[in-house]
Amino acid sequence: MPRIVVDGRAIDAAGGQSVIEAARAHGIDIPHFCWHPSLSVAGSCRVCVVEVEGRGLDIACNLPATEGMQVFTDSPAVRERRREMLELTLLNHPVDCGICDKAGECTLQDYHYAHNGAASASGERKVRATKFHALSDRIVLDNERCILCSRCVRFTHEVSKSHGLGILHRGDGSLLRETGDGAFARDPYSDNVLDVCPVGALLSRSSLYRARVWYLQPTRSVCPGCARGCPVDLWHRKPEWRLNALDPAKNRAIVRVTPRDDGRPEGPWICNKGRDLAALFERPRAMQAMLHGRAVPLDVAIDAAADLIDSSKTRIALVSSWASNEELAAFKDALGERFTTFVKEDHRPLPGETIEDDFLIRADKNPNATAAAALFPVRGKPMSAAPSGQPPDLVLAWGEGFDARGLPDGARAIVLDAYGHADHARADVFIPLSIQTERAGHYTNFQGVVRAFDACFDKPASVADAQELFAALAVGARVPA
Amino acid sequence: MTKLIMTFPVTETSHTLASYRSRGGYATLERVVREMRPEDVTREVTAAGVQGRGGAAFPAGRKWSVIKLNDGQPHYLCANADEGEPGTFKDRWILENAPHLLLESMLIAAYALQVRHAFVYMRGEFDLPYRRLASAIDEATAAGLMGERILGSAFDCDVLIYRGAGSYVCGEASALLTSIEGKRGYPRNRPPRLTVRGLYQRPTVVNNVETLSNITGIVRDGAAAFRAVGTADSPGTRLVSVSGHVNRPGVHEIDLGYAFERLLDDCGGVLDGRALKAVIPGGISSKVLTGDEIMPLALDHESLAAAGSSLGSGGMIVIAEGTCMVRLLQVMLRFYHHESCGQCTPCREGMGWLHRIIDRIVAGEGRPEDIDRLYRISAANDGTTICGLGDAAGYATSGILNKFRPEFEYWIEHKRSRFDGNLVCRASS
Repeated sequence: MPRIVVDGRAIDAAGGQSVIEAARAHGIDIPHFCWHPSLSVAGSCRVCVVEVEGRGLDIACNLPATEGMQVFTDSPAVRERRREMLELTLLNHPVDCGICDKAGECTLQDYHYAHNGAASASGERKVRATKFHALSDRIVLDNERCILCSRCVRFTHEVSKSHGLGILHRGDGSLLRETGDGAFARDPYSDNVLDVCPVGALLSRSSLYRARVWYLQPTRSVCPGCARGCPVDLWHRKPEWRLNALDPAKNRAIVRVTPRDDGRPEGPWICNKGRDLAALFERPRAMQAMLHGRAVPLDVAIDAAADLIDSSKTRIALVSSWASNEELAAFKDALGERFTTFVKEDHRPLPGETIEDDFLIRADKNPNATAAAALFPVRGKPMSAAPSGQPPDLVLAWGEGFDARGLPDGARAIVLDAYGHADHARADVFIPLSIQTERAGHYTNFQGVVRAFDACFDKPASVADAQELFAALAVGARVPA
Repeated sequence: MTKLIMTFPVTETSHTLASYRSRGGYATLERVVREMRPEDVTREVTAAGVQGRGGAAFPAGRKWSVIKLNDGQPHYLCANADEGEPGTFKDRWILENAPHLLLESMLIAAYALQVRHAFVYMRGEFDLPYRRLASAIDEATAAGLMGERILGSAFDCDVLIYRGAGSYVCGEASALLTSIEGKRGYPRNRPPRLTVRGLYQRPTVVNNVETLSNITGIVRDGAAAFRAVGTADSPGTRLVSVSGHVNRPGVHEIDLGYAFERLLDDCGGVLDGRALKAVIPGGISSKVLTGDEIMPLALDHESLAAAGSSLGSGGMIVIAEGTCMVRLLQVMLRFYHHESCGQCTPCREGMGWLHRIIDRIVAGEGRPEDIDRLYRISAANDGTTICGLGDAAGYATSGILNKFRPEFEYWIEHKRSRFDGNLVCRASS
């Protein structure tokens, strides 16, 4: 384990680490564009220059840490070289930060203010290049903003392996482009290039111009798209920047989804389905409690459900595999002894969706089937009969996918769901639930990894929180009607 | 003068196998595969001290010595025939007229380095050189000099030609290998060195065509005979391709240490009997020398280094009095801008910047501060790039500015050339 000295601080580098990796592992950030911890070394931006005693200037990303190396990351020579490299990086950059979605979280912008700050010394015309080039129906490219760091190219070569991007032409006429075979458009991980891009060259068409980043805040969450349960950040408007006029619906909008790097071995990536969580969450909601399709206040529906549970004899419950660990435990505690339980597959693969691959995407399209199956071991075929042989007289269907035709003859139905469905009107009791962005909790993924998610928004008053609901149903059931 | 490469009169058949054999060709290869061990060959080449003829003058033996024999992995040898340095056309002579000398040398090198497949990376624009080398490979294969069990020994080796697609950067050793791999010809970062991880991530030696062509003679006659030619620090001969304002341009083989003045005489002197203004001694990436500077010099690596330039690729461009150096720099910077691969920032952006500034000066819109700007951009490329293209452009720029700054100031002030603005030498009327 070589020991190197960075700016007077002795650090132990792991074997084979480069100087930039070793420094980063010890909290020392050496400015860089093209280097990325999860990608191969390109060594092309030349900004991560450091001074090594006795050897002069060199780039830290391709410099193996060797015993006794004295590294300076901010010597006068380093500062001057870094300033020159930033000047050259910006030479043909349009500096259109005012209309760039990346402004506020742009590495080039940050480094320019931190390490250069001067106006361009060049009076020459800038090289013009394509703007708004559609790389796919998800991503647009601004070639003028592109600094040709090749991170996105390396991502498609090394991580997603679609080989969908490349660089055309040469010199300052080099252009990032998609390959002609449509591999990038088919790449289910393509949107990760938005995050690896250090500048505003790659832009999401779904969030383009929707919000300045400084109006947004991330909330820790977990993607419910499949059993992988990738850690994500959901970006939504900061409470202090709440809109009271114009379009208040923006206050409750998920503007974008980014992977949250919790150091997991798969790397800081998510699939495109995870990027589209906003669409998943913003499907038409069920907001109104109902008895036989008739709107009633929420508390009336809860009382009616408690009565139904109390008055029935053979009860089965279909437990949602989209419920959090806390909700599942609450159900088991409150009602578990009174129901024969089955775990329900709320979501199945949609037509055209990637079923499963050897990277992140899992065939089970539910986030918490592992925890549900652990709490409620599946027995037999739901809906047919309880283990006693008696046909059930009450079915509690929790989560999406309720189908009234599947109900056994004569059985009553209590349905709990967050999203709207025509069959809800055919349930004896329907209680609307909150969605993931309105509550906190944990999911357990297929590997047994437990990840937490936090609430982004307040729960609407007309819907129930499942955890509280089960407690209320249990209390109601204990009180003789 | 000694001739190690241009040893025979060029005729219509002098490039064929029969002709080469009549000059004793392939006898050295036969002796090598029968009697010598690989390390003996490398020892001889190291002792000869032959320096790279492509531009950097790195000793070939030292490069070869890095290759570990019997290390259980394939090794590769690659002849750099991407001769793209402006002013250089000496390898072309070897490929056209002595293809078997290159092949025999490559086979000897392959034997020394335990190479099964050797490559010739050839400049895409080369037509006759390609046809000559390809037919030489066919002849040698048919004669059992190449392929499996060469000359009945256990040594197998094939030489394959890979033709480039017109990129200057692909003459840089690592970009050349990347191009052979079928990828975009971007140079690679060092470390690792190519002798550790080169072609297909295996130990690889890349040598210039002329460097390799010396191997047969070195092994045949011994290191001492090679060292008897040239100077102590620059042994052997060099092929020098002389172009520009001389009466008889062409390829000349000179002993290293040969006086420049005599070479100029050999070329018939400066065109029109004009005075010698300047010489770019080793391709445009070497620093320009004024006529006064180069006239007394001996042509060897150490003398030119002492004068602040280098023998480079042997592409000697002679510039007569009356030539406009501003226009010359403009042509050079247009070349570097056009050929920058665009991988790393300083060169990608800097080459265009240099080119746009010099274009503006020539258009009569120059500003006095432009000269300092040219210097600064050159300095920002000095040692900051992945390969040497950026450095070379910087050397060329600062080299010309250092010695001919008044011409630039004149053009900026008067918005026209101090001379007739031409690079062509016209008969004075």
